Amino acid sequence: MSEVIVVTSGKGGVGKTTTVANIGTGLAALDKKVVLVDTDIGLRNLDVVLGLENRIVYNLVDVIEGNCRLKQALIKDKRSSGLYLLPSAQTRDKTSVTPEQMKKLCEELKNQFDYIILDCPAGIEQGFKNAIAGADKALVVTTPEVSAIRDADRIIGLLEAEELRDIHLIINRLRMDMIRRGDMMSVDDVVDILAVPLIGTIPDDENVVIATNQGEPLAGKPGVCGQAYANICRRILGEEVPFLNLDNKKGFLGRLFHK
Amino acid sequence: MSFFSKNRKTSGSIAKDRLKLLLVADRVSCSPQTMQMLKNDMIKAAGKYVPIDSGNVSISFRQSPPVLMASIPLKTQTDI
Repeated sequence: MSEVIVVTSGKGGVGKTTTVANIGTGLAALDKKVVLVDTDIGLRNLDVVLGLENRIVYNLVDVIEGNCRLKQALIKDKRSSGLYLLPSAQTRDKTSVTPEQMKKLCEELKNQFDYIILDCPAGIEQGFKNAIAGADKALVVTTPEVSAIRDADRIIGLLEAEELRDIHLIINRLRMDMIRRGDMMSVDDVVDILAVPLIGTIPDDENVVIATNQGEPLAGKPGVCGQAYANICRRILGEEVPFLNLDNKKGFLGRLFHK
Repeated sequence: MSFFSKNRKTSGSIAKDRLKLLLVADRVSCSPQTMQMLKNDMIKAAGKYVPIDSGNVSISFRQSPPVLMASIPLKTQTDI
C-alpha cells in the first residue's frame, strides 16, 4: 500500500529538504520505490541537495499543466536505484498549482511508487496548502529553538484542522553539549511541549553540511547522522527501533569520571 | 558544575517556560497577558476554598479536541 508523506515545519531553514533527501535515500536503500516531490514552486532546492540539478528537463508544473508526461519529468537518482525526483519549477509561483491538482498528482504517483515524499515550502500559505492536500501522513521537522517550536505547533494545529492526524515529530540539530549544561531544550522538553509522537532525533553534525555540499545524502552511511536517518526510515516502515543515545560522546574528563 | 548553577535558571528551562505560556496563548488565540490573568483568576478562585500551591499552577491547551487544562496542585498538610 503506497503512502504519501509530507515533510513540513512552518519555519524555514530547520532542515526539511535535507530530511526529505535523506529519508528518500534511506527508504530506497530498504528496497522501496520512492519519489521525492519538491513542492516549493519558485524556490527549487531538493535537486541540488540530491546532486541532480543538471538533469532537470521538465518539472512539477509541466506535469500538472500537461506539457509533458509524468514519466518524462521524473529524474532517476545517480546512486540509489528506486529513488526518483520530481523537481519543482523555478520560474513560476505557488499559485500555478491548486490543492486539487496536487491531490490528483499524488494519486497518480501512488500507482508507481511505494512512498511519495513531499518537500513542503516554509510558511502556511498556498504552497503549504498544496503540499498537504494529497498527504496521508506528516512529518514535522523542528529544531530545539523557541521560534521553530512555536511554528511547528502552529503547523500541527493546521494539519489537524485539515484532518491530517497521522503526525510525527523529527527534532533536528540537537547539540548534546548544550543540552547537558542546560542551554538547549532536550528531546523530552520538545516532545512535552508539542505533544506529538517522536519518530527521530538528528544531532547537529558538520557531516550534514559536507554531504549537502557534495550533493550526496548520508542516510545509511557510517556516522551517527547516517544511522539516525536510517532509523527514521525503519520506523516509517513500522519497525520498532530504539532511539540512538546521542550522548555517548563525552569529553576527556567526562570519560574519566563517568567511566 | 551543578553546585555553581544551583540557583541559576538555565536558558533551556527559560525557553521551555516561555514557550509553554506562549503556545497556550497561540492555541486559543489570546495574548500571554490574558492567559496570565486567567491563571491568576483561577488561583484566586480555587484559593478561596482550598489551600493552593500557587507557584506550581500550570495551564495548557490541547489542540484536538480543544480542551483547556489546568493543573492546580494543593498544599500538603506538611507545607501548611
